[in-house]
Amino acid sequence: MEKKIEVVHTYTKDVLLPIIKRVKSYMETEMKIDIFNVSEIAYPKNIHLKKNTIMLGTSGSIKLIITLGYDDILLNKLVEMFVDGDDVDDYESEEVRNSVACEISNTIIGNAIDNPIDNSDIYITPPVLVSEAKTLYKDKFSKFVFVTFATKYGDVQLTAVGPKEQFEEELDFKEI
Amino acid sequence: MLKVLIVDDSLIMRRNIKKYLTSLGHNIIGEAKNANEALDFCKENKPNLITMDISMPGMNGLEVINKIKNISQYFSIIMITSYGNNSFVKSALQEGAQGYILKPVTAEKLYESISKIYPEYLKDEDLENLDE
Repeated sequence: MEKKIEVVHTYTKDVLLPIIKRVKSYMETEMKIDIFNVSEIAYPKNIHLKKNTIMLGTSGSIKLIITLGYDDILLNKLVEMFVDGDDVDDYESEEVRNSVACEISNTIIGNAIDNPIDNSDIYITPPVLVSEAKTLYKDKFSKFVFVTFATKYGDVQLTAVGPKEQFEEELDFKEI
Repeated sequence: MLKVLIVDDSLIMRRNIKKYLTSLGHNIIGEAKNANEALDFCKENKPNLITMDISMPGMNGLEVINKIKNISQYFSIIMITSYGNNSFVKSALQEGAQGYILKPVTAEKLYESISKIYPEYLKDEDLENLDE
């Protein structure tokens, strides 16, 4: 008799891991910036966001709030890569900086998100800039997931907030 | 040379797409930050091609395609999206978009996508320019 195998989908394995992989591949392949360390996945009680943080939400059968934060020097380097030697006028430099952070975050999350849970569509909200650092506190029904990526220009901070029961803590991190 | 309207709420994307298309010899006749600006532009002008971010605040891409096609069936639309495995993209193509580009956008992807819609613009020297 054929043994029936139940496939258990979780946000950590099926949603977060592809995002972690895409952050790394995007930085290294598209931006030519090496990621020399990816932290272990942490599940903190609160999270202090970086000054340059982009927030996106997913809707559909996967409901998450995802943030990607960039250290100043790293964001400067990403802007430099994006404008590729073109001049940026002073009056639009702040908007260019913000739009680069939004664009990179939208591309990483959009490229990474598939829906292994039920194959229905997942929609991503337009990215929003959270200017200046903020601290997020979770309630008892939610869970924070936190990963940092180290580059020589500073860190990228990835945070996901979602329903507590959807994240498992045992994860084979070697998949990355 | 195509007359192109770029529709994107992101400044850096409008800048980069404009740069890539200009390097391919096309004429950018307008830029719009949202769907309403794009519709107003299309009522007064006649772009051959519209590149449009599929996800913008306000009206979604499908609604915009419908409204643009109501103004003229002859506008060609290339959708720009970060997620390809989505029925939204398929619906956009069914509604009348001629193609889509998965982000990150590059000059090569724009060239390939335009060449499928307008094969007459496929020139060897364009490809050589892209390599430079």
